[in-house]
Amino acid sequence: MTRQIELGLLFSRSGSYALISEACRTGAMAAIARVNGDPRLDVRFVPVERDPGGNVDAYAPLCEEILRGTDARHVVGCITSWSRKEVIPTVEKFGGTLWYAVPYEGFEASDHVVYTHACPNQHLLPLLDWVMPAHGRRAYLTGSNYIWGWEMNRLARERITAAGGEVTGERYLPIGSREVGRMIEELRFARPDFILNSLIGPSSYEFMAAYRALGQEDAQFRPDRCPVLSCNVTECELPALGPAAEGLVAAGPYFRGVPGWPGPGTFGSSHEAAAFSAVMELARLLAARAGAETLPLSQLLAGDRGTGIIDPETHHTVLPVIIARVEGGAFRTIRRRDAVAGDPYLTRSRLVAAPALRVVS
Amino acid sequence: MKRRPIRIPNLGAAQAIILHRPHPTVQALMRQLTAIGLRVTQTWSEPGPEVLASDYVFFDADMGHDGMFPWEPGQPPIPMIALIGSEAPGRIEWSLKAGAHAQLLKPVGDNGAYSALLIARDAFDAQKALSAEIADLRRRLDDRQTVVRAVTLLAARGRSDTEAYAQLRQMAMAWRISFEDAAARIVAAQGGADERSQRS
Repeated sequence: MTRQIELGLLFSRSGSYALISEACRTGAMAAIARVNGDPRLDVRFVPVERDPGGNVDAYAPLCEEILRGTDARHVVGCITSWSRKEVIPTVEKFGGTLWYAVPYEGFEASDHVVYTHACPNQHLLPLLDWVMPAHGRRAYLTGSNYIWGWEMNRLARERITAAGGEVTGERYLPIGSREVGRMIEELRFARPDFILNSLIGPSSYEFMAAYRALGQEDAQFRPDRCPVLSCNVTECELPALGPAAEGLVAAGPYFRGVPGWPGPGTFGSSHEAAAFSAVMELARLLAARAGAETLPLSQLLAGDRGTGIIDPETHHTVLPVIIARVEGGAFRTIRRRDAVAGDPYLTRSRLVAAPALRVVS
Repeated sequence: MKRRPIRIPNLGAAQAIILHRPHPTVQALMRQLTAIGLRVTQTWSEPGPEVLASDYVFFDADMGHDGMFPWEPGQPPIPMIALIGSEAPGRIEWSLKAGAHAQLLKPVGDNGAYSALLIARDAFDAQKALSAEIADLRRRLDDRQTVVRAVTLLAARGRSDTEAYAQLRQMAMAWRISFEDAAARIVAAQGGADERSQRS
């Protein structure tokens, strides 16, 4: 007998990171449609949507509204780590589960969260391991003023200095700020070998445009000489970036058209793919297990007889690591590693040292 | 004083031991520690030498008692994290006497273990470094009399105190030993009793 199962969706459809929300939502909705049209599954998802509108303080109350006011125990949602941290106490309190489909900074393994996008050993560390031999070891770090940028830059600093490199500057902007002038002036002076950009939304768009202008003025700042790196830019933001994205190098588990993860089909971006894979995995876990939809995540996973994608200890997933450069408005793969397990505390893979670095003159 | 930077310990395959009776709090803590990447054991009655082989000790502050640790009271050789249920002053005082470097409140839920590990490690390292520094300063303080005697002996060769002091410093540098050790050598060479040999 088919079961109607309510599924929470908690995405901000307006605000500074709405493009990412839309990408995740598209992926989740595509998976819901796939599940609901699959006669082999006894599961039909009924989406319950709430829109925090980009206001971080609205997440926890709206998540509570879903978990308290409906039968949904699973919520797909949150973009920023800030909002995720706001929601975790709520899912813990109500025995719910958050499915989080966005790259994040690691150092978390909640019993109530599944992380279907990449953490630093799946994005930042491989990206730095690529860039330092290729471009040099002098970095400029920038990010939005919250945990994502702070922790990414701390980790980058640790990795770069351990490799004998140097951080020439580090600067943050409040979420939504477009005040990038000071960073451009610092860059002009610091002349690094690469820039790690963990800004989000309009701050990032403004910075990329200003950096492109700087490159037109001074060839040292052209992307082939001093590239901008990102672990959060995907295809979903390329329209907002326009030509300023050219030459940007990003790391992620998927770029449009790359086969493999998360299965057959083409996705708009890794955000879309990760949300899709989250909902598909949930459907697999619930299928043919009547009543499983009320279980907390720990019990749901404990009773799973199949080969799931979720690591039972960390709730992270095995993902490909793809490093790709924007060329002609699309990502082109530079380097690819298959099947890297998420290691949120860098305790499982840290023993693997960074590859020996050659100085490239 | 500028704070020394935090050292993020390599927790991969580190060993934690939880001294607590079987309890949901132990399960929740084990889940957290396993997710972080540690190997975890739990024991309550008569913890044995396995405690000494651990890298971190979590102990029950509610039911804990003197003599539960296989080391001198208050002298833990590894970082210690108190699991506190009743926040009664007596129990907190006992935890501090036992040498707690950090604490986690019970019931332990979904988080808290990682920061407790890092804070305990940092406090433990800081305590160790300070103890070593204090021991060194104390030794040098005790050696003041030897230094005074060495300077007097050198000054007896017709130098001023300042010149004798500078000469002693140069000797220490040339011999590649500490100032105090150089003073002891001078005193010994002159047949004088070294303060330190009397002490030992």
